[in-house]
Amino acid sequence: MSAYIKIEGLRKSFKNKGERTEVLKGIDISIDKGDIFGIVGFSGAGKSTLVRCINRLEEPDSGKIRIGDTEITALNKKALNIRRRKIGMIFQQFNLFDSMTVFENIAYPLTLIKTPKRETEEKVDKLLELVGLSDKKNAYPGSLSGGQKQRVGIARALANDPDVLLSDEATSALDPVSTLAILDLLEQINDELGVTIIMITHELEAAKRICNKVAVLENGVITESGRTRDIFLDPKSKTGRIFLEVYKEFRQDNTFTGGEGI
Amino acid sequence: MSFLKYPFWEVIKHAFSREVWETLLPAVWDTLYMVVFSALITLVLGVLLGIGLSVISKDGVRPIPVLNETASTIVNCLRSLPQMIMIIVTLPLARMLLGQSYGVNACIIALAASCIPMYARMVQGAFIEIPKGKIEAAKAMGSSSAAIVFRIMLPEALPAIIRAFTVALIGIISMTALAGSFGAGGIGDIAVRYGFNRFYHDMLIASVLVLIVMVEIVQILGDLISDLILRKRHLL
Repeated sequence: MSAYIKIEGLRKSFKNKGERTEVLKGIDISIDKGDIFGIVGFSGAGKSTLVRCINRLEEPDSGKIRIGDTEITALNKKALNIRRRKIGMIFQQFNLFDSMTVFENIAYPLTLIKTPKRETEEKVDKLLELVGLSDKKNAYPGSLSGGQKQRVGIARALANDPDVLLSDEATSALDPVSTLAILDLLEQINDELGVTIIMITHELEAAKRICNKVAVLENGVITESGRTRDIFLDPKSKTGRIFLEVYKEFRQDNTFTGGEGI
Repeated sequence: MSFLKYPFWEVIKHAFSREVWETLLPAVWDTLYMVVFSALITLVLGVLLGIGLSVISKDGVRPIPVLNETASTIVNCLRSLPQMIMIIVTLPLARMLLGQSYGVNACIIALAASCIPMYARMVQGAFIEIPKGKIEAAKAMGSSSAAIVFRIMLPEALPAIIRAFTVALIGIISMTALAGSFGAGGIGDIAVRYGFNRFYHDMLIASVLVLIVMVEIVQILGDLISDLILRKRHLL
């Protein structure tokens, strides 16, 4: 089966005070439909840039990105905007609109495609139930906890029935309990709705918990990728090994929760 | 009554007398008229110009570098003119548009011309304060530029825009007083003609009182509205 999402030779550099820094140095990734694909790495490895290139919040310098039959990198602005409606994205800082209620936040993507009122209402109610926030329908994001905000973020990202969900450090600003709850929610969404999830994280625990495949990103290069089990059992790359070491140490300190064996 | 001739308390007391207020009240109405109309013009055009400036700016929704540079320079030029000079400069313009270069209507043009660029910059500042991630989230959902501006940026920045308008409005009030000495009438005119030229200090005190009350009301109302919105959104 050929990959559902294919990234080939992706390069991206930023100009900073006349100096060019290459953040992504030729990335190749294949992701199958229904995967929860984790991209792990330290801060500054280029994870965020990579995931932001997928919906072209960052314009890649070169390389190709294909999702399903659509060549994302070949789309013009208008077509890109339409395709983006089927790519959900959640963020570390949630990025909810403070001026809108929870209902209006989730309904926002639907109003962009002029969904009838009745239909919108039904859809939002269903999503609120899915993320377990039916009682917060008319609350403003300002009154919600971090975990609740991310649930709204997830519901909003799912409003247009996306085929792909991009998660940019979605659990990194949350406490351990909320983190686990959000991870379980993501897994449930993947399972029930069949949404392919690409998850950026520096928390190995998060990747280990729900990803079926993982790629390790180090200084703008994918140093290894494969099934999560294999990478965790026998990391080949430097980052992979350091990660595992640190992770094991943390486990001994009982800093992290959720302790099934590797 | 002058402080030079009468005891302090006598002058203060006389500032509240019928005689003083009979002269002052028509001027208060003139001032209110000028303030209300120039404030409305400033609000509408200032917000529009502010939106325009932030949309075409480097980090805006639709960056247009050349236009951005030009517009910024023009706005800066207008902003660098002292208000007094602005009044003098716009007098011929008022004559062209209204047929006369004195009176309250002529003054409104000067007030608006001076306050629109200032308010536009403050509106632009309010937009810059919106966390970038929110705009990006809107982009990632496939929003059009118009949707980002009118459905995200404006509502998100609304409390800050209202606060900025309070500042602009107080600026307008103080500028009407200045315009008074250029034939606009109003409280400023009274203060100069009676308070300064003729040592009617009771008149001067009454004028100052009116101005203080006006500014206070504007400030309290502005804070109140912006706080109400923030409270409703649970941000305060």
